[in-house]
Amino acid sequence: MENVIEQIHEAALEELKAASDIDALTALTVKYMGRKGRITLYLRNISTLPPEIRPRAGQQANRIKEELSRLIEEARTGIERNLAESDVGIDVSAPGRPRNCGSLHPITQVTWEICDIFTRLGFSIAEGPEVEKDYYNFEALNFPKDHPARDMQDTFFVSDDIVLRTHTSPMQARVMEKHEPPLRIIAPGKVYRCDSDITHTPMFHQVEGLLVDENTSFGELKGTLTTFVHQLFDERISLRFRPSFFPFTEPSAEVDILCVMCRGEGCRICSGSGWLEVLGSGMVHPNVLENVGYDTSRFRGFAFGIGVERVAMLKYQIDDIRKYFENDVRFLRQF
Amino acid sequence: MKVSVSWLKEYVPVEMDIYRLVDALTMVGLEVDSVVDRYASLDTVLAGRITAVSPHPAADRLKICDVDIGDRSIRVVCGAPNAKEGLISAAALPGTEMPDGTLLEKTVVRGEISEGMLCSQGELALGPDFSGIMELGNAVIPGTPVTRALNLSDNVLDIDLTPNRADCLSFIGIAREVAAIQGSALKYPVIEFPRKPVGDIFSKTSVQIESPDHCPRYAARLVEGVTISASPFWLQDRLRSVGLKPINNIVDVTNFVMMETGQPLHAFDFDQLQENRIIVRTARDREPFTTLDGKEYVLNAGMLMICDGKKPVALAGVMGGLNSQIETATSRVLIESACFSPVSIRKTSKKLGIYTDASHRFERGVDPRGTLTAVNRAAQLMVEVAGGELTAGIIDENPGKCERKRIPLSVDATNRLLGTRLNQGEIKTLLESIEFSASCDGNDGLSVLAPSFRVDVEKAVDLMEEVARLYGYNQIPTTFPHITPGGTLSSPALNFRNIIKRTMRGLGFTEAVNYSFISADASVRLGLPDGDARHQAVKILNPLTDDQAVMRTVLIPGLLLDMDRNLSKQANYLKLFEIGKVFLQKEENRLPEEIEMMAGLWTGDRFDPSWHDKGTPCDFYDLKGVLEGLFNTLKIPNLKFTKLPPDKCSYTRPGHSAAISVNGKEIGLIGEVHPQVLKNFDLKQAAFIFELNLELLLPLAPDAIKAKPLPKYPSVSRDLTLIIDNTLETHAILEKISAIDEKLVESIQLFDIFEGKPVPQGKKSISFRIIYRSETRTLADDEVNGIHKTIADRVIAFSNADLPA
Ligand SMILES: [Zn+2]
Repeated sequence: MENVIEQIHEAALEELKAASDIDALTALTVKYMGRKGRITLYLRNISTLPPEIRPRAGQQANRIKEELSRLIEEARTGIERNLAESDVGIDVSAPGRPRNCGSLHPITQVTWEICDIFTRLGFSIAEGPEVEKDYYNFEALNFPKDHPARDMQDTFFVSDDIVLRTHTSPMQARVMEKHEPPLRIIAPGKVYRCDSDITHTPMFHQVEGLLVDENTSFGELKGTLTTFVHQLFDERISLRFRPSFFPFTEPSAEVDILCVMCRGEGCRICSGSGWLEVLGSGMVHPNVLENVGYDTSRFRGFAFGIGVERVAMLKYQIDDIRKYFENDVRFLRQF
Repeated sequence: MKVSVSWLKEYVPVEMDIYRLVDALTMVGLEVDSVVDRYASLDTVLAGRITAVSPHPAADRLKICDVDIGDRSIRVVCGAPNAKEGLISAAALPGTEMPDGTLLEKTVVRGEISEGMLCSQGELALGPDFSGIMELGNAVIPGTPVTRALNLSDNVLDIDLTPNRADCLSFIGIAREVAAIQGSALKYPVIEFPRKPVGDIFSKTSVQIESPDHCPRYAARLVEGVTISASPFWLQDRLRSVGLKPINNIVDVTNFVMMETGQPLHAFDFDQLQENRIIVRTARDREPFTTLDGKEYVLNAGMLMICDGKKPVALAGVMGGLNSQIETATSRVLIESACFSPVSIRKTSKKLGIYTDASHRFERGVDPRGTLTAVNRAAQLMVEVAGGELTAGIIDENPGKCERKRIPLSVDATNRLLGTRLNQGEIKTLLESIEFSASCDGNDGLSVLAPSFRVDVEKAVDLMEEVARLYGYNQIPTTFPHITPGGTLSSPALNFRNIIKRTMRGLGFTEAVNYSFISADASVRLGLPDGDARHQAVKILNPLTDDQAVMRTVLIPGLLLDMDRNLSKQANYLKLFEIGKVFLQKEENRLPEEIEMMAGLWTGDRFDPSWHDKGTPCDFYDLKGVLEGLFNTLKIPNLKFTKLPPDKCSYTRPGHSAAISVNGKEIGLIGEVHPQVLKNFDLKQAAFIFELNLELLLPLAPDAIKAKPLPKYPSVSRDLTLIIDNTLETHAILEKISAIDEKLVESIQLFDIFEGKPVPQGKKSISFRIIYRSETRTLADDEVNGIHKTIADRVIAFSNADLPA
């Protein structure tokens, strides 16, 4: 009877050697260890053996069964590995199913960037109307009627008293009318001027800034805008403050940065000057503060206006500002 | 303002090189736009040696010269008496722009080719001599440009003056700034009359100001016995250097003095003034007037006129009249040097559309105390260049109104505004460098008298600006504000808009930005019915083009125009959106209502082009899915789409469009673009659009998100398929099921809609999966089956449905 299990064992090992695929292994498993498999039956009949050899025979049969299971499993893994390794598979170089995001307009992205810098500096964001009263667009900002300063901004008129705002500066007066100082705001938005050529579109975007406090100064205006320019472009960029004129600020300053294209050598982008104008600024004119009823003996302020198209042009090297509003997807999808 | 550096040197020694000068002027607020050498146009005029002279076969007075111009020889026809062999003269080559404005070309003169022109001093505007060609001397090497041979160079600066700096619309004004920068002295021209004035002006004429508000000062002098002719070369040359055209000696003097002092002058032919006198008054309504350029105008009441005893002779401060201008026969000249009200001049100039050097200066404000200097300077120069006798005496009407203002200035306040630490003496010195007079007043104060030419300076802050400018903006220490907490104004709308933009980008949409203005017929092209509020657009009185005539009342036309532009560039798969304002005119002469809207457009394929999809066109449900996705992100529930009746939206296709509402409030619409509207916009491809009113949407967004616990017990689902009329909307059935008050129903999903065999015609099969779940226990099959049957029965009854066979 012991011979029987040895014979089964040897036969099984022989057949295992010959088994070359998964089906053969499965058949082998069934043949020896299935419900009616040879080892299974042998174990079932072990009670017919004399009691003295039963334990040993049982142990031996179980050992053989375990060994066979292990060998079959090893053979199966080997065959499966071979199978997997010989699969030619798919063309992984063919493109995937597109799952593309769209894109946000460069003006949106640059506006966000500018607003983010100033909100980090403690400024809040305000918005206001695009069709504006002459009062807020001009008079409250110290542009008298029939003054040549109005020629600085070619205006679209809706009526004698209503214009398309020519700058975001009306927000200065609107915010100050509603809120007591101190305050720090920025106001992004669309503005309109009656002018159209390679460097001008009749609609463009600005971000206005205003800080009013008890002890602010032109030096702090310089500090704030220097920080802004460094964060927006590059820590190392040179900038200069140049005297200018806006009726609603005094002293007024244009801020120029060293040309990002030619680094000051002079090129087409900077019209040979080596500098690029990026924003206008100044200390808020006392007339403007008085117009909103602020106490000018106590409060001073500074204000600035940033041209978003101009900044986007420099950041992305856009050569024609009319592209902003043609909405050619070949342009827009680049951002 | 054009400034010739060589002319500028008459008033101030310019010690800086041109680059330093440009930078220094720019940094005191006089921005230099460009610098050009005024002789650059003569670069193609070369020194040429005449190597042979032969007679012109067809003209006695002409010669044919062979001219060696260095690298080659040219043939030039020349009529100058001094042209002879060996002479080195100036040969202008074809392509040269001559000072009179003509472009020199290769020509044929009486049958003989001339490859250039031998020029006189006069022809090149380098001197007064027109009598013969230039003689450059034997030391000059042929081929050398004449400008180099004569060492000619004069940089002309173009300064972009801000409107407050009227004082710098003159050479003396610019020179004053240069002097302040360099710390050098300003040289005013010395006015000395060549001969003693004779007679008495008051016995010959008078000036009467009837509108003193418009004319604060009027000075005049009389010069008799002048001879009108061309100006001497130096005068013409000065005017040409700044782009002015010489006219005659008298007019040239007035222009010269204007450029020198900033005071516009006018010269009248005294004998053309009726009653030989001047009256300054406003025009009568519809009074006709002809300006000296021969143009006729009809005046409005209120425009300031200079009149003689009978009639207007000049539009004050803007332009003189044809009837009194200087003619060849003029012998007596009345010089006007006046100060007019800036507002009055600006109104007249704008109304008539006449802009002159004079009006430009008057509307910015001239020095009221400069009138006398200017009239004397002009009188001096006229006698010098036109002969004649200056009549003794000066008429000076209304001089009392030009008192100089005294402005107190605090040193401390100046330093606090600027962030500087200047002392009293430093501030005083800075102000004095540009002719402000300042005296100390205590330890902190200065009492400052602004010069009368600085009409822009009124307040202490104006003085502080001068201090900052002259000290140098870049010298002012850079500090950072101390940010105090508080006072924030948040903008929820802005935040909400930014989330929408990011989500739309994630959903594959590209953001467009269109002009806010559009053509007036855009609302008509959308087919909006008469009486629709969106026909009431805000009209722009002065649009640049018809395409930009009104403010938009709808966003859709902008996107349709974008679609057209993109299709024309073969980009026919587009997913665009725009967020922006529309403008509705509610009442005349009031601000319009501005509403922030969002619109989207999808046209072309459903998927990005790829080998996985063979170009399935997009449809209504693609765009609807985008909105559902957007609203999920915005956490706004209860979104409902209701079929729009055809009369509710003119620009979407009937039966294929829906109103969008949340909690019963309509907030927008979605649909396929109406075929007629596609045609109106020349579009040949179907498109789907939506629009949303963001101002109605904003309040629907949740203030805060509150997390819900996840379910502890498993769910059980049961399907239900119904055969119903195909006109019945699925939403109605979903709503019916939701309305059943059964707490165990967690959600209902529609997973199939089918029309066609074996479903009978006019019917459709719809299948739902209802998910049941309890929060407190695992549901038993029997219990679920019971509830499901109840629900199924009620839905079947409501929808008059059949069950599938
Ligand atoms: Zn450059």
